[in-house]
Amino acid sequence: MSDGNDARILDRGYRPYDGPRTGTSGAVRSLLTYSMRRAVGLRRPLSAKVLPTISVFIAYVPAIVFVGITVLFEDVLISEPDILPTYSDYYGFITAAIVVFTAFVAPELLCGDRRDRMLGLYLASPLTRDSYLGAKAIAVMVVLGLVTVGPVLFLLLARSIAGTGPDGPAEVIELLWKIILAGFVIAALQTGLSLAVASTTTRRAAASAAIILILIGSAAVSGTLLDTSDAPEGVFLLNLFVLPFELVRRIYGDVLVTDEVTDLSTNVLIVGYVGWTVLFAGIAWVRYRRIEVTR
Amino acid sequence: MSRPADAETDVMLAGPQPVVEGKGLVKRWGRTLALDGASFSLTKGITGLLGSNGAGKTTLLGLMLGLHRPEDGSLHVLGRDPTSAGPEVRARVGYSPEHHELPRDTSAHDFVRHMAELHGVPHRAATSRSSDALWQVGLGEERFRPLGTMSTGQRQRVKLAQAIAHDPSLVLLDEPTDGLDPVQREDMLNLIRRVGSEFGIDIVLSSHLLEEVERVCDAAVILSSGRVVAFGSIAELTGVGHGVLVEVDRDASAVADALRQRGAHVVIDGERLIVELEGAEDPDRVYDLVRDALVVSGAGLRRLTDRTIRLEDVFLEVGA
Repeated sequence: MSDGNDARILDRGYRPYDGPRTGTSGAVRSLLTYSMRRAVGLRRPLSAKVLPTISVFIAYVPAIVFVGITVLFEDVLISEPDILPTYSDYYGFITAAIVVFTAFVAPELLCGDRRDRMLGLYLASPLTRDSYLGAKAIAVMVVLGLVTVGPVLFLLLARSIAGTGPDGPAEVIELLWKIILAGFVIAALQTGLSLAVASTTTRRAAASAAIILILIGSAAVSGTLLDTSDAPEGVFLLNLFVLPFELVRRIYGDVLVTDEVTDLSTNVLIVGYVGWTVLFAGIAWVRYRRIEVTR
Repeated sequence: MSRPADAETDVMLAGPQPVVEGKGLVKRWGRTLALDGASFSLTKGITGLLGSNGAGKTTLLGLMLGLHRPEDGSLHVLGRDPTSAGPEVRARVGYSPEHHELPRDTSAHDFVRHMAELHGVPHRAATSRSSDALWQVGLGEERFRPLGTMSTGQRQRVKLAQAIAHDPSLVLLDEPTDGLDPVQREDMLNLIRRVGSEFGIDIVLSSHLLEEVERVCDAAVILSSGRVVAFGSIAELTGVGHGVLVEVDRDASAVADALRQRGAHVVIDGERLIVELEGAEDPDRVYDLVRDALVVSGAGLRRLTDRTIRLEDVFLEVGA
């Protein structure tokens, strides 16, 4: 007689599901986590992990170096604390990583869905076009937060542990708030731009190149106009590359050693910034309203 | 026997509670009229949505999913209007598209689990149901393979698995045997039949292949140029038809003339004749007429059999 160890399941059968259903919010959460995992290459082949890993690594390297300097040369820093960059200065070291990451993330998340025709499957679920795009936008922003918030947060943490950070909980909270707001300001405009560009093509490489070109091109056009003509100061608002970083500098309240980037008031900068972000988001929204999926 | 349907006529397939019900649906794509007053009512079981390319099948599926808004008419899926209650309807509907493009670097298990989660199944349950669904479609051992390494047949199975993983009330399958070889097609049809009968999930199967609809479906709706031109259960649409099929060795037209003189309705197809005698009290009377006509014409008889109607005959008869 068998002792039961040889027992095998030959037919698993079909089991109806009568458990709870999470509805639209569950669908959005699922798309959000799935998209974020894809963007950073989790549960994907090695080739899909390379670019996000390098970008994130580049973004954190300066922070690691500065923390190392803080620990190794503590005595020097006490007498000359200004030799290390401020928190707002830090973004200058990682601009390239942020731009590369921006150019990579949104095309990865949007172009692939249309190329693989996953959009039709998504819209055959409780997701709508708006909730789909909203989930993708949040996914892009959160992933961009890895390079816009993460490194500066790491710097704050490391300096606090080393005893060279802000004094007292109030300063820590204030700085924490500035770090999150600054990261959001950078990520929101980049998200809008990259979603708008990615909504126009199914080719990821083309979208990535276009995002980088727009960022660099806008800086070149704005800079040239301001330097070589009597263009009004407002032309600075065309500079999509520097605009969010200038806002970040003002969030931290840092004073530049060299000339100011622009004389425009913060309110004007905010209007320009919000205008661009809304415009780009609107382009992506309109594009997705018009895409036919199952025809 | 097929029943040609007027576009304004409701198509009642069977039963009192329609799974999908459309009345006078009109949908245009630019200047193209994709649906021209289509009306129908589908109840439980497997229903074939038949029609040639451009007949309006995919547009109708899109309307059922609430992806498009009809210009006119009304549509109810599982008792709700997908235009106004799209998310609620889609949560209870599974959909397998016609195309085979799927994320190449995602494993079948991850993909099916993700689709189950999208339809409201919590993560833990979705993980378990993903494995189950892939086992059910015969991909249990292959479930962790990337989709990009799978054959067309396997991808069709994955598409079916993701459509049933969340235990929907209704599954919409768009050309589920497209790209499959005969053996794979046979397997897929058996699977669909199993989903419809064993799993108790209602299915709308869009196809232009008459034979497969005839084999697995309980009922069929035939679309042509956006209109419902025929409908009914498969038993109603096909099966034993009226009249007999006569095949003669020569002079089919003379036989036909002799039959017509005796009041029969005759259609000539080469050496074959389809003979019907409407209103005859004795159903065997038609055989007597054939015997007499053969004697008069002097033609030899090769074959005499009851006429069998296939879905293809219906399809051609209604001009679809």
